[in-house]
Amino acid sequence: MNATSKRVLTSLWTILWAVVTLHSPSAAQTSRGADVAVVVNSDTPIADLSLSEVRKVLLGERQYWNSKLPVVLLIRAPAARERDVVLRVIYQMSEAQFKQYWVAKIFRAEVAAPPRIVYSNDMQFELLTALPGAIAFVDSRNMRPGVKVLRVDGHVPGDRDYPLR
Amino acid sequence: MHRRLAVLVMMIFGANAAWAQSPPPLDQAEQIRILLERVQQLEKRVAELETKTPAAPVPAAEVSVNVPAAQKPETAEVAPAPGPMHQHEPTESQATTRQLEARYPSLQIRGFGDVNFSTTDQRGATSGFNLGQLDLHLASALSHKVTYFGELTFNAQPTGYTVEVERSIIRYDYNDFFKLSFGRYHTPIGYWNTAFHHGAWLQTTISRPDMVRIGGSFIPVHFVGLLAEGNIPSGGAGLSYNVGVGNGRGSIISRPGDAGDNNNNRAWVANLYSRPTKLYGLQMGVSVYRDKITLPVVSPAGNEFREWISAAHIVWTKENPEFLAEFANVNHKNILTNAITNNQAYYVQVGYRLPWLEKTLKPYYRFEHTHTPFSEQVFTNQDLVGSIVGLRYDITNYASFKSEYRNTKRLPTDPRVNGAFFQTDFTF
Repeated sequence: MNATSKRVLTSLWTILWAVVTLHSPSAAQTSRGADVAVVVNSDTPIADLSLSEVRKVLLGERQYWNSKLPVVLLIRAPAARERDVVLRVIYQMSEAQFKQYWVAKIFRAEVAAPPRIVYSNDMQFELLTALPGAIAFVDSRNMRPGVKVLRVDGHVPGDRDYPLR
Repeated sequence: MHRRLAVLVMMIFGANAAWAQSPPPLDQAEQIRILLERVQQLEKRVAELETKTPAAPVPAAEVSVNVPAAQKPETAEVAPAPGPMHQHEPTESQATTRQLEARYPSLQIRGFGDVNFSTTDQRGATSGFNLGQLDLHLASALSHKVTYFGELTFNAQPTGYTVEVERSIIRYDYNDFFKLSFGRYHTPIGYWNTAFHHGAWLQTTISRPDMVRIGGSFIPVHFVGLLAEGNIPSGGAGLSYNVGVGNGRGSIISRPGDAGDNNNNRAWVANLYSRPTKLYGLQMGVSVYRDKITLPVVSPAGNEFREWISAAHIVWTKENPEFLAEFANVNHKNILTNAITNNQAYYVQVGYRLPWLEKTLKPYYRFEHTHTPFSEQVFTNQDLVGSIVGLRYDITNYASFKSEYRNTKRLPTDPRVNGAFFQTDFTF
């Protein structure tokens, strides 16, 4: 193989690598974003949950904060980073599995309705402040007053061992 | 040489551009639509903020939540403070908030259906298509503590359709530890009977295991009465329970006493299961069921029996792999003669969601076995040894194709039956 052929092959490999890398979905996903805070209505009588307790809430296995206050689950719409984190870390499900999980959950008569879908941060905070018992997952850079940030496994967003990122 | 290289580069980029311009799949299109909506909302919000006067200096309490919570966790809870964020007029977002607030009653209807094709080498059997159950599920919150659930099926029969009320439940939730309901249920014995109900789309396989077959009698599939259920404070063990009292089996033992019990003895059922928090996806449980059966035909040996069902299950509900195993023993004691019989059934099912083709393929295998002794007086013979191997292909998030090969044998003297079964099932 002469020098020109080597150059050509090297160029081709470089172009192929660049094309594949640019189209790889993981390219965007590997960049680390901010922590996702677990946020509740400020009247919710809770300040600290373990990750498994958060999972129980999100799976609909824990439906009441106390006997008078039902949990109101708020989940961001598909394509939001907060939703990706919640599905990956807490549910450990794909988007399809998540949808199927809630269809099955309602069909089993375990809950009457799926989580409420919110389309923006504005909407999320409006609901968090308006609905007693509401719980949502918010990018910790976009925090606003009037809500309560829960510790997860004893950690708050920004801690090195905070699990939701 | 350079010319060839240029052509190759153009081909690669051409293919690349064509790839980029190909129509997005459905989910991607939905995501784009949602993103566009978000952009519009944000644009509207920016426009609103730009028309307002410059914001007043932010109070210290608000600043404290804007710094990373790690630095000031004690200030994470902040009472609503009057500030620029809360002074705006009612917006579209607030209108949406009002729409999302709970309203009662809030009826939701979901349907399930399936269409099947089967062919076997069983003598006398015919191959062909058949319409599975059309299943309507209703759920309606009547208040934040009271909910109604219903399930109706439309079943194809040679002379038309029959309509069946499969479940009709009104439930009062006191809290997570105590929920009380009344109505017609799927009896909480084992796992499958309360996990999948009548929607074939929910289950991996085409059919239910024989021991929990709809219309079967090995376990009482339905139950009319009251049921208490809830979680048990148990830390990482994740214990939950169901305890119920009801009519038990009717005169036709595959059916519950919907219109009234056929004796003065109530059946009761208790189910205890664990979902350990450390092993997310695992569920293990035990169930017991007690009833008095009164058969409509009186024989010299009597027509009343005590029934005692004990069952256990262990399942791994994730799909990589999926593992389901259940066992049940049905004990019958003749009240007149004290003759006792024990019937056993179990199944083991494994499946695996393959990582390729967007995880749409799931091969599976199930082995099941049922044994009824010759001296059994309540059941007709239900012996079965069978294997199924199949493949589920999820066409969309809400519809699938399934294909199965089954090999079954009933009585020792019966020949083995081989069959191919196909199903498309869906929810809507």
